[in-house]
Amino acid sequence: MSNPDLSLDQLHAASRRGRVPTLVNELPRLLGILVLLVGLVLLFIGDSFSLNVLATAFLFAGLATAWNIIGGLGGQFSLGHSVFFAIGAYMTANLILGYKLSPWLALLPSMTLGAVVAALVSWPVFRLRGPFFAIATMALTEVALALAMYFESVTGGAQGLSVPFKAGLTNMIFRDRMSYAFLMLGFLAVALLIFAAIRHSRLGYALQAVRDNEETAEAAGIDVLRTKLVGMAISAALMAAGGCLYLMYVRVVDPPSLFSLFDVGVKVALIALIGGIGTTYGPLLGALLIVPLENYLRAELGGAIPGSNLLALGFILMLTALYLRRGIVGAILKLRDRSWRILR
Amino acid sequence: MTAPLLDLRSVSRHFGGLRAVDDVSFTVSDGEIISIIGPNGAGKTTLFNLLTGQLAPTSGSILYLGKDIGSLKPHHRARLGFGRTFQISQTMMSMTVLENAMVGAFLHISAVREAAEKAESKLELVGLAEHAGRRSGELTLGGRRRLEVARALAMEPRLVLLDEVMAGLNQTEVNDVLTLVEKLNAAGTTFLVIEHNLKVVRAFSKRVLVLNRGQLLAQGSADQVLSDATVIEAYIGKQQL
Ligand SMILES: Nc1ncnc2c1ncn2[C@@H]1O[C@H](COP(=O)(O)OP(=O)(O)OP(=O)(O)O)[C@@H](O)[C@H]1O
Ligand SMILES: [Mg+2]
Repeated sequence: MSNPDLSLDQLHAASRRGRVPTLVNELPRLLGILVLLVGLVLLFIGDSFSLNVLATAFLFAGLATAWNIIGGLGGQFSLGHSVFFAIGAYMTANLILGYKLSPWLALLPSMTLGAVVAALVSWPVFRLRGPFFAIATMALTEVALALAMYFESVTGGAQGLSVPFKAGLTNMIFRDRMSYAFLMLGFLAVALLIFAAIRHSRLGYALQAVRDNEETAEAAGIDVLRTKLVGMAISAALMAAGGCLYLMYVRVVDPPSLFSLFDVGVKVALIALIGGIGTTYGPLLGALLIVPLENYLRAELGGAIPGSNLLALGFILMLTALYLRRGIVGAILKLRDRSWRILR
Repeated sequence: MTAPLLDLRSVSRHFGGLRAVDDVSFTVSDGEIISIIGPNGAGKTTLFNLLTGQLAPTSGSILYLGKDIGSLKPHHRARLGFGRTFQISQTMMSMTVLENAMVGAFLHISAVREAAEKAESKLELVGLAEHAGRRSGELTLGGRRRLEVARALAMEPRLVLLDEVMAGLNQTEVNDVLTLVEKLNAAGTTFLVIEHNLKVVRAFSKRVLVLNRGQLLAQGSADQVLSDATVIEAYIGKQQL
């Protein structure tokens, strides 16, 4: 084993070779975090208010993780992800109401439609960069809202669609809040797993290269448009799955709750931004912070001064933009690096 | 007779009224090291952009192994064997040095571990292995240039285009890059090099192309070209030999 011709430096270099984090390295941490979250749910048994907040937080953590694939890794700051979320919700509602399909079976067609629509509408929009891209995706939301109001036969128009209450696992409808908390936690787990798998794959590196420098990326052989489209399609498919679960949670969907900007499209981007854009667990942290806070603010302030909860969230976003450029996770990593340097 | 590696036929690129590259024709054979020199604004970088597909020619054709590649996108040409560096150094700033090189390695490798191993071996070639874990934005200018070389090499290209890669490197680094180019060339890689340092040009290049105002002013051995009266007038008169 020992080779006298190798210097210590060369030995070090040889042992470092190929040492990059892979999905396998990430799995234990992911599992540990999920176990903690299960514990968190169990902590609140019987407290349906808190379980409600947790279920919502997990849902939004999953959605923000989905957004993070194209928004964080790919650097395409979409503010129109509510469109794919809505597609999932409407598709599922139609399949349940029209064909009596189980929501579990509606997941796959919902995700497929979300991905296909995402690829089609993104094609032209991906020619735009930076703020222009973000604005165009915002405009997409408005178009989708108009369409949803117009095509009443599919969306129920302004009234929306509602799914009758028939509790049961096959119907994905539960009497207790805890089941929903676990349902949303399952969704979050899948989203995190997919994000981590992509991040540690060739696609993940391609997305990051495109985010950092399109010209270099294509000179290195990356098909920039294709990379963005694939990232967007996967991200949108997960958003649509989230839309399906959301529908089963609230059992009503209508245009205002799906498309009013802050409710989904901007919120998922905000959560990822505050938690740490492009990091694996940033969106989760962001959601665990923002969703309970928003609930609290709406309860405490929203009643007294309408819209003040939004003001408070805007203020938090500003603070993040000013002091935590890479979100909470970025700040933690920086702290760790700094203390590491001091300790060494 | 087999087709040359590269065959440019009356290639032009205009920007509005400006003829940045004007009716340029030359061939490149497998295994050459060719230097391209010329005053600022002569069209050297534009020529590179035409070769790697960042720009489309206004007229003329570019043949690679006998096939017209003029309409292919940069990523297609990368797949065919073009690797390049940029004059204004372009690294993926938020990614680590290793990850930057891996982006090149993924051209022919899909497994992350293997790509990392290839990237690491190229970083060793350019002397950046020690910095593998740092963000590329933290490197010095010279470091970023060498990183670009590593990224291009990780693509295992057949033809490498270096755009003023020596600028901003110190003397030792220049010598290291020279040695590296010669070593890779001996192993079969063809190089096209835009270079202002005429000492470097003399040192490693058997053939030199001189561009001036978009036109190919002269070509030949370094000694031939650098003693050519028109070249001296257009270019060397303004520079120290
Ligand atoms: N995208 C562009 N649009 C308009 N003009 C351009 C463009 N790119 C280059 N030019 C012009 O074309 C001419 C040739 O530029 P180019 O960058 O190819 O020169 P160069 O030989 O590489 O010069 P340098 O030694 O300064 O790098 C210059 O006058 C430049 O201003
Ligand atoms: Mg140039």
